[in-house]
Amino acid sequence: MDDDEAVTRALAGDLDAYEVLVTRYSAVAHRTASLLGAADEAEDVVQEAFVKAFRHLKGFRRGSSFRPWLLRIVANATHDLTRSRGRRSDLAVRLGREREPYGPGDPEDPEDAAVDADGRTRLLESVRALPDGEREAVVCRYFLQLSEAETAEVLGVRLGTVKSRTFRALRRLREEVGREHLG
Amino acid sequence: MSTSDDRDPIAPEDLESRLRALGEDLAVPPAPPPADLARAVRARLEDGRAHDGRAGDRTRRRAAWRPPPRVAAAAVAVLMAVLLGATPQGRAAVVSVLRFAGVEIHVGGAGPLPTGVPGPLPGERRVTLEEARRTARFPVAVPSALGAPADVRVADGGRVVTLLWPGVRLDEFDGTLSVVWRKELGEPWPDQVGAVGGWWIQQPHGVSYMPSAGGAPQEARVAGPTLIWQHKLVGLRLEGPDRDEAVRIALSVR
Repeated sequence: MDDDEAVTRALAGDLDAYEVLVTRYSAVAHRTASLLGAADEAEDVVQEAFVKAFRHLKGFRRGSSFRPWLLRIVANATHDLTRSRGRRSDLAVRLGREREPYGPGDPEDPEDAAVDADGRTRLLESVRALPDGEREAVVCRYFLQLSEAETAEVLGVRLGTVKSRTFRALRRLREEVGREHLG
Repeated sequence: MSTSDDRDPIAPEDLESRLRALGEDLAVPPAPPPADLARAVRARLEDGRAHDGRAGDRTRRRAAWRPPPRVAAAAVAVLMAVLLGATPQGRAAVVSVLRFAGVEIHVGGAGPLPTGVPGPLPGERRVTLEEARRTARFPVAVPSALGAPADVRVADGGRVVTLLWPGVRLDEFDGTLSVVWRKELGEPWPDQVGAVGGWWIQQPHGVSYMPSAGGAPQEARVAGPTLIWQHKLVGLRLEGPDRDEAVRIALSVR
């Protein structure tokens, strides 16, 4: 069943069809919520987003792509969460696949220094230090590997805004990383 | 370090590919298995339908929404009711109040008013059943008729535990000390259910949560047919199934 058929059937109240969509997009939704700052509450955010998406399915423009439409709801739910927690929409991740999420306000972990063989940690720190809008553009474009158009839809901004934020972010990162190279 | 890229250390496309590679190395908190998420979402959607009196195309739950046969329940109700004559502002209608197992039922008012989607209870979070058992202020009961719940939530510092199955919601709460839920319904009175020593509310009705910290009722929403009963010291409200099924489930609680 492709997305379009699943949406058609879900709109008719078929929850089995909607389960197909939930299953198909659960991983990317979870990753999006985590990277946009939901941290260990990503699971709740994603569940909330899927419930909301079903209730607003009528607003989905048929023939367009389901994934960015859904991810926008995930991004909004994440923003609601970080706002209600009164915290910055931090990039709550760490390098490596086994370790615990990086909670906001955690002290710098000395282990990180050891992983820094190729400057990935430094690069991640630089991304984390970007202004919110630029960081979110980088997260969508490179960490989630969304297109510019998808990024615009997910973040609810114009395509030109995505381009300029990405451009500024890359320039800033290049300066940061370049400084490290020379140092 | 002193290679030729000292002057221009990072080419634009190089930085972009490094960012992509970095993204692939990032660990996010572990995601639940997709099937679990799908089940939890479905349980909430079916739960929402059970609350949504305006549902039109919802064939599966349709039967549960038929208005009940009128029953002369008032005489029965007096047995356990704390009857208060209350006069809502500007109206002469008498609202009777039934308090039972942590639930306060107001009968005879306007019936359900709240609309909108149900929100979470204060401090509500998803937990495992084991965690709920550790957190709750009372022994959490699982009806054997339903098996393991699809989703478990604990709220208000362990005062309420909610177990969810597709289309079924079971709230468990400390039913001895204070009013936890407030229900508003029009006539008829709830029906007494001898088999479990509880009450059956057939009609859609308003339900709101009375926070332990005091203050105004919260999270008002419209609930569907509900069975209320008490098991030892625990108050229970079961929403979703029809009456026979609800009683069967209630009897399977140990």
